[in-house]
Amino acid sequence: MSMDRRSFIAAGSAGLVAPFAGPAQVFAQEKIVRFTLAQDFTRIYTFVTSEYSQGQRDYFTLINDRGGVGGYKIVADVTDHANDLPRAIEAYERGKREGAVLVDPLSTPVARALVPRALEDKVNMITAYSGRSDAADGSTFPYVLPLSINYWTQAGLIIEHFKKVEKGSLKGKKIVFVHIDTPFGKEPLPILNVLAKKEGYELAVFPYTPPGNDQSAIWPQVRRARPDFVIFWGAGVGQTVALTEALRNGLPMDRVSSSVWLSESDMDVVGREQAKGVMKVEPCVGGREPKVIKDIVAEVVGKGKGAGPENKVGTAYYNYGVQMATLMVEGVRKAAEKAPNGPVTGPWLNEGLRSISNFTAEGLLPSTTITKDDHQGGGMGRIARWDGAKFVPISDWFSANQDVVWEEIRKNSEEFKKSGK
Amino acid sequence: MDWILLAELSANGVFVGLMYALVSLGIVLIYKTSGIANLAQGAVAMTGGYVAWALGARAGLPIWLAVPAALAGMFVFGLLMERLALRRMIGQPIIMTIMLTLGVEIMLRGLLPGIFGASVKRLDIGIPQDPLFLGDLLINRATLIGGSISLALIVLSLLFFNSRFGVVMRAVADDQTASWSVGIRVERAVGVAWGLSAVAATAAGVLWGSNQGVDWSLSLLLIKALAIAILGGLDSIPGVLVAGVIVGVAESLATGVLDPLVGGGSRDVVAAVIILVTLLLKPHGLFGRHHIERV
Repeated sequence: MSMDRRSFIAAGSAGLVAPFAGPAQVFAQEKIVRFTLAQDFTRIYTFVTSEYSQGQRDYFTLINDRGGVGGYKIVADVTDHANDLPRAIEAYERGKREGAVLVDPLSTPVARALVPRALEDKVNMITAYSGRSDAADGSTFPYVLPLSINYWTQAGLIIEHFKKVEKGSLKGKKIVFVHIDTPFGKEPLPILNVLAKKEGYELAVFPYTPPGNDQSAIWPQVRRARPDFVIFWGAGVGQTVALTEALRNGLPMDRVSSSVWLSESDMDVVGREQAKGVMKVEPCVGGREPKVIKDIVAEVVGKGKGAGPENKVGTAYYNYGVQMATLMVEGVRKAAEKAPNGPVTGPWLNEGLRSISNFTAEGLLPSTTITKDDHQGGGMGRIARWDGAKFVPISDWFSANQDVVWEEIRKNSEEFKKSGK
Repeated sequence: MDWILLAELSANGVFVGLMYALVSLGIVLIYKTSGIANLAQGAVAMTGGYVAWALGARAGLPIWLAVPAALAGMFVFGLLMERLALRRMIGQPIIMTIMLTLGVEIMLRGLLPGIFGASVKRLDIGIPQDPLFLGDLLINRATLIGGSISLALIVLSLLFFNSRFGVVMRAVADDQTASWSVGIRVERAVGVAWGLSAVAATAAGVLWGSNQGVDWSLSLLLIKALAIAILGGLDSIPGVLVAGVIVGVAESLATGVLDPLVGGGSRDVVAAVIILVTLLLKPHGLFGRHHIERV
């Protein structure tokens, strides 16, 4: 991971030097679309961000080296906001001043804080796997775009999978939800509660104190609750400790699932063999098999232009980064189709992003359609199981419980309309 | 009331508390010899964890060699910290010295993840993950082994203070000027205390690192360590043992009993309440000597 940090510093330095270097003159004559990728490299999300950002930057390099998209090249300004609101707001304002038409903070508290600004400034804010779940409602949040399954949908997918395992009924079953005691950790609770009533299962909830480095008093309670299934919900050290404690308490891994925030790096900490069987939600294909990842390996990493360690290419979070980058670039392509000569503004890109249709990035992601009402893209994901070496899908792409999810989305977005909260 | 669960939480709390106590041991060692509350102890534990991981995963040493090498390296680190930073503060107000240790804490917390990367590192010292059942009672194997090792190290340090050099250190703790006057090399004794404190922190960092992975959050051990040191008495090693068990069990039971009532989050409040109540009611702690000054 030291390479990640170095690459981040290198990327930052390159950003500083770029205006004085030769290629800047070339860019000056080219049509560009500027993104502000101020993310948390150093505080909470750390290695998640490193891998996610590496995927994004590698994809932008691939596109730019191929001549850009729709006549435009992508300029991505990578900075560190360290999950600190003043720094994040400063980075946002700087990006806006420099003409950025898209920001991607990859942080729930930062995204939540930036919502009013993004809406007022008409700057597209990407909130993949973070931020407000009700931002899926494009009519209320036109410039906040998750472009991916929100936490409510992820919870809905997991419950649907458990139901399938139990041959169609969860009546009388017990599901335990272990979560970090933060707004992010509590996010799926409304859906899990509604589904508990609908499906007839009993829900037991165990919060743990952030960052979750000692959960030894939580998991004996989980075990003694004799759950049929366990969902654990956190990030970083909280995830690896949760999984380790689940193992130490003898919970069967094939009955334990998490959200999208589980990766190969987590498995390295827990022990690849020991964690065999644990499940997660997969929002896009993992590994190096997808064509776009192969292209990156051949045309970017293979030519020494990779943004980070080669062994991270194809990991879960790397591919999430590529997934988001493909959607951003597809948005630019669509925008350029509609208005080839721009001007490049937030609304210009917004038109493109909100007309993405049946997009799969050549097999990397489930069919995704973003509309002016649905910023989630259709709510498709799948369940994958760790086999000791990689996450293997155990379901097809599917969406589930979207009626319940959208009811919650509309309820909350209505509240935002009324109160601004 | 689920008595088995309470027994499990209590047993687990005892072992976790002993693991916390190992971090406190370093605070007490330094306080005993130099009268300073070392606020960098959590970050030193984190540094020890990173060093052991780096020697194993990066330098390729087998873990049975990487851990002793880390302990030795961190002993030198402790000596250097005292020699290069703390000794220069002699004659300065005590608050400045304590602020210096806080500065070291903040620096290490940023520096180590900066050098090695912020991801959680796996530190496998060979403790199996399988559950250990005694009838219906599950004992967490990792905390059982970690707590037992901590107990052994704390007992060892008690024995050390009865050895020849330990008596010298006690003399220094009692009266530095008198120690000088009878020819004791006070600086050396203080330096060794810092070295041993770093060794205790490293042992704790390795045990906790094997338990949760190595990352910046190991530095959060400081809060628990301070609570234990304050409750036990800043200059009492037996106090560390007893207070460690009290804090561990209190936290564990709070999670099991209070969390369901208040919706969670009671675990971390326990340490804060213990610090506050001890300072208000018994500032010298359970076993501390009465002449301790408030710092």
